[in-house]
Amino acid sequence: MTVTLPRGRLLRSRVVSDPGTALSTALDRGLTGYAVFEPRDALLFDADGRGVITFEDGVPVLAYHTGTDEGGAAALADLAVPGPYSVDVFELDASALSAVHDTPELRVAPGLPAERLAGDPALADRTRSAAPEDRVAADDATADANTVAAFLADESKVEAIREQAREEARDRAEEWGLADELADSPRPVADAGDDQRGDERADEDDPQRH
Amino acid sequence: MVEAFAVASGKGGTGKTTSTLALGMALSYEHDVTVVDADTGLANLLFHAGLVDVDVTLHDLLIDGANAAVADATYERFGMSVVPCGTNLADFEAADPERLRDVVATLAADADVLLLDSPAALGSKSAVLPIVLADRVVTVLKPTIPALSDALKVGEYARSYGTGSAGVLFNKVRDEAAVDRIADRTEEYFDGPTLATVPDSDAVRDARDAGEPLLAHAPDSPAAAAYREAAATLTVEGGDSAAVADRFSSAVVPDRP
Repeated sequence: MTVTLPRGRLLRSRVVSDPGTALSTALDRGLTGYAVFEPRDALLFDADGRGVITFEDGVPVLAYHTGTDEGGAAALADLAVPGPYSVDVFELDASALSAVHDTPELRVAPGLPAERLAGDPALADRTRSAAPEDRVAADDATADANTVAAFLADESKVEAIREQAREEARDRAEEWGLADELADSPRPVADAGDDQRGDERADEDDPQRH
Repeated sequence: MVEAFAVASGKGGTGKTTSTLALGMALSYEHDVTVVDADTGLANLLFHAGLVDVDVTLHDLLIDGANAAVADATYERFGMSVVPCGTNLADFEAADPERLRDVVATLAADADVLLLDSPAALGSKSAVLPIVLADRVVTVLKPTIPALSDALKVGEYARSYGTGSAGVLFNKVRDEAAVDRIADRTEEYFDGPTLATVPDSDAVRDARDAGEPLLAHAPDSPAAAAYREAAATLTVEGGDSAAVADRFSSAVVPDRP
């Protein structure tokens, strides 16, 4: 995954302690272009670890990390290291960005950079307010996804759902006359060869089912 | 060789029918594919495949006394054999779900891949039979808690009947990165790979309105590309056709007195 951006016009280049400053400035200026974040660590150790965030009318669209080759929210996670950062901000024509912006795997929800990089919920809200409606819907999906991730991480809850489903499957199998086709049906299996499942199901001597 | 897949979800509105036809078309480049609308109580595949006006459907094969042949209800469309189901409620009520076994056995003799578009809820025998009959289940998931919760239930039903998992297809996705974060857990719980992450797309609705599968209507759309990726990830592990057909038909319940 590579991202090729035209260089554009350099608006500012400075070292900031908080990447939120750059995000906030981009929003207030309605920046269309991109910002390159280079953590001070990378400056010191000459490591290849720059993050690129593109903007449309001040609202973040894509995130990409050159060191890890990650995109989207994962790129933000890679970039979220203690500052200070060197930040270069470039302005571009929207037309120059449209091709790059058609890269779903790199997209971020509008408020996410403010939340993840700056830890600034107020800035995230302000960014969402400025974002087009369809982009905010994507942000909501991200919030949903956090809830979904938490749900899946709760192993005991998931196991309870599965256990209940197993019991229900068994009860219903009895009710529908499918009990003999359950995988652990106690009926003898004629020939436990490669086609074991078929053999289990092919027991023609079953009593009539109800 | 043939392998039968149930395309299931546990929840309505996840895009099962779109997924069934899209996977079917993508797999048809390499395999002989037969697609069956096994959602006999809430059939809608006919709308997606331009088969609204056909006379003979799966219902005519499931109703006791109806003498239609399987071939009469099978239509060659978009490179696949398609068996649609009618939408008449009286026909559904008259249908004997057990007869699906014979239909599947007959179809299995001439196909590499059988895709059974399965009912969402598991509340009846006709709804659970496609999962019982299939070798593996493709689970279509919207990344929401209710959808996951119901799909987990489908997964346990399948496991209970010894039906394997072919993997998970995330559908109608608006935030791909969010899906990436839950993919590992989901793969673990569903005991199969993530086949693809299909983006939410207007092309899907347009295809449905046009009565065409997505891959025919908008083959260049990102959603269509994702389905092709899913088909490529899905390794068809067919058994011998005759043995599979025998498995379905020999499991037929004796006629009721």
